[in-house]
Parts: sequence; structure tokens; C-alpha cells
Amino acid sequence: MVVAGLHTACAPFRSRTPQPKGQATVVLLPESDGSVGRATVSNASGTVELGTARASTRVAPGQAPQPVTEMSEADVTRLFGAAIAAQPPAPIHFTLFFRFDSEELTDDSRKLVADVQQSVKAYPAPQVTVIGHTDTIGTAASNVELGLRRANAVRVLLIDSGLDGSAVNVTSHGEATLLVPTADEVSEPRNRRVEITVR
Amino acid sequence: MKGRSYSLVAITFLIAAAPALAQQESPAGRIKVVSGTAYVVRSGGEVRAEVGQSVFVSDSLRTGDDGRIGVTFDDDTRLSLGPNSEVRLNEFRYAPAQGSVGLAMQFLRGVAMYVSGQIAKLAPDSVRLETPSAIVGVRGTSLAIQVVPE
Repeated sequence: MVVAGLHTACAPFRSRTPQPKGQATVVLLPESDGSVGRATVSNASGTVELGTARASTRVAPGQAPQPVTEMSEADVTRLFGAAIAAQPPAPIHFTLFFRFDSEELTDDSRKLVADVQQSVKAYPAPQVTVIGHTDTIGTAASNVELGLRRANAVRVLLIDSGLDGSAVNVTSHGEATLLVPTADEVSEPRNRRVEITVR
Repeated sequence: MKGRSYSLVAITFLIAAAPALAQQESPAGRIKVVSGTAYVVRSGGEVRAEVGQSVFVSDSLRTGDDGRIGVTFDDDTRLSLGPNSEVRLNEFRYAPAQGSVGLAMQFLRGVAMYVSGQIAKLAPDSVRLETPSAIVGVRGTSLAIQVVPE
């Protein structure tokens, strides 16, 4: 097993020997922003933790996961290139801001509308979630209504640009989900918003 | 969402009376990328995969020699498969307001890439990526998995 271990370290993923059925190879990939998450690979015989870019382990049925090695970028591409190429685009998030007690966009946000519309058009089979929010002026119930009016105003903009209405899901959080935490009855422009997710 | 405009009472009744049914009725995700031969396997039958098609709990994604498929789930989780691959969606619950989230995928063979979404952010322990030889747990992670066919 020592020899096998050395062999594994030198050429981890080019073994000529037939691979055991049901064997899994797991490799951690860096996020699009360059950061790296964490994963554990475990079974009844053991656990290993992956926490660095391209950290990788192999595990055969009934055996403990092998010690973690770093997979080369070339091996990642060779093994997983096709799966990586088929990744859907990341969901896109937008926030548009509104005038006080109104479903009218601020001037700055009005300028973003074309961007939002363009992104939705370019997205494959888009599903869009639109959530309306308010600041804490007024009652909770009236703010749910105001948030919904804002969200519906955005929905109309999306449908105007050619999106099928059935692909838009509109809800309101009213004053329940503040972007900038405030006390009740505080006017805060950054809380008067609609959050759009395109996925 | 027109097809789902039940009254609130009806929705409440459905959720209260038949959680399993409600879970099966709403799609967990949608196919965003397809090339070559790719299928959705549902109730034992194969349906040719198309962009825009819905994916439900207990569906499998299956690709042929030249196939690729990519799916985005409702919580932003993304999954894609290379050729000769199969992954089954065993569980997908994403109702954070009700405190109900969970994701389980079974990697049966081939190569796949997983990018975590909101479920992994809200409740990392509720995500299970199962292979024939081990379970993969995640903490906000992109990873790739290869499984040698059994």
C-alpha cells in the first residue's frame, strides 16, 4: 500500500488499473470570486475534509476515503470539463429603488431598467422573482401593499420587454426585510426597493 | 404562475393535508443547458430534455455519449452533467419561511458539477450529495464528482 500511495501522489488521476465500480472522485472547485468553500466526504469507514482549491479525494465502496491530494487544473479539465461547460449561468440579482410612498422608480434606478431587461432577455429560460420592500413609515399592512405595488410595477417593465408573465413571481415583504435596519417609522430611501432575481 | 393561482385556503389545505403531494407538484428546478443526448427520467419513462423544462423531486437526469445537461434549482443550486452520467434528485424542499429546507442528490455514474445555493447557506447539514461509496456534505461550495459506473 505504500507503493500504491506513492504512485497516487505522483499521478493521482491517470491510473491505468481498472477503477473499482462505484468509486467516487470528489474535487472542490474555487468559486467564481476565487474563494473556496468546504466539503466533507464520509462513509462508515472514515471522513476527509476538503478545504482548499482543487482538494480532492477518492473513495471506493467499503473503504475509507483516501487522503486528500490536490488535483491539477489539467486533470480537473480532463475529467470534468464537459460537466463544467454545461453549468448554467449564475443567477443575477438586481435592486431597484423607489420614491417615498410611491411605486415610481428613483432617477438612478430608472437608468438601470434597460440593463435589467437586457439581462432577462439574454438569460436561458429565465424565471424571475420580484420582491417588493418598503421603509418603516406607515403600518405593516399598508407597507405589504406598497411593496406589492412596487413589485408589480417592475413586473410590468419585465413583461413590456417581452418576458412571459408566467415566468415572473411577484411577492411583497413590506417592511419585514429591511436592507438598512431602522426603528419603526423611519424614512430610509435604501429600504424602498424591489429585489429582482433572474434564474 | 397562472396555473397555480389557487385560493389561499386551498393552498393552506394542500400544504397541511398533503405535504408530499404539494412537494411533487411544484418544480424543483429548470433545465437551462442541453447539448447532445440528454433525458429526464420520470416514473420509469425517459423524456428528451429541453431547455426550459421543469425538473421535479424523484426525477433523474441522464446523458448519453455526447450529452450534457445543466439545471438551476429554485434556491439557486446548480447542477450540470457531462456525458454518460446520471444523477437523481431524491429530495428538494425550499420553503425557508416555513423552516423547511433540504436537498439530496444521488450521483449514480459519470461526471457532474454542483454549485451550492440558498439551501446550503441556510442549513448546510440538510444537503446530502450521495455517491455509491460515500456521502458528500457541503459548506457553500462548488465541487465536481465522478462516479465509476457500477
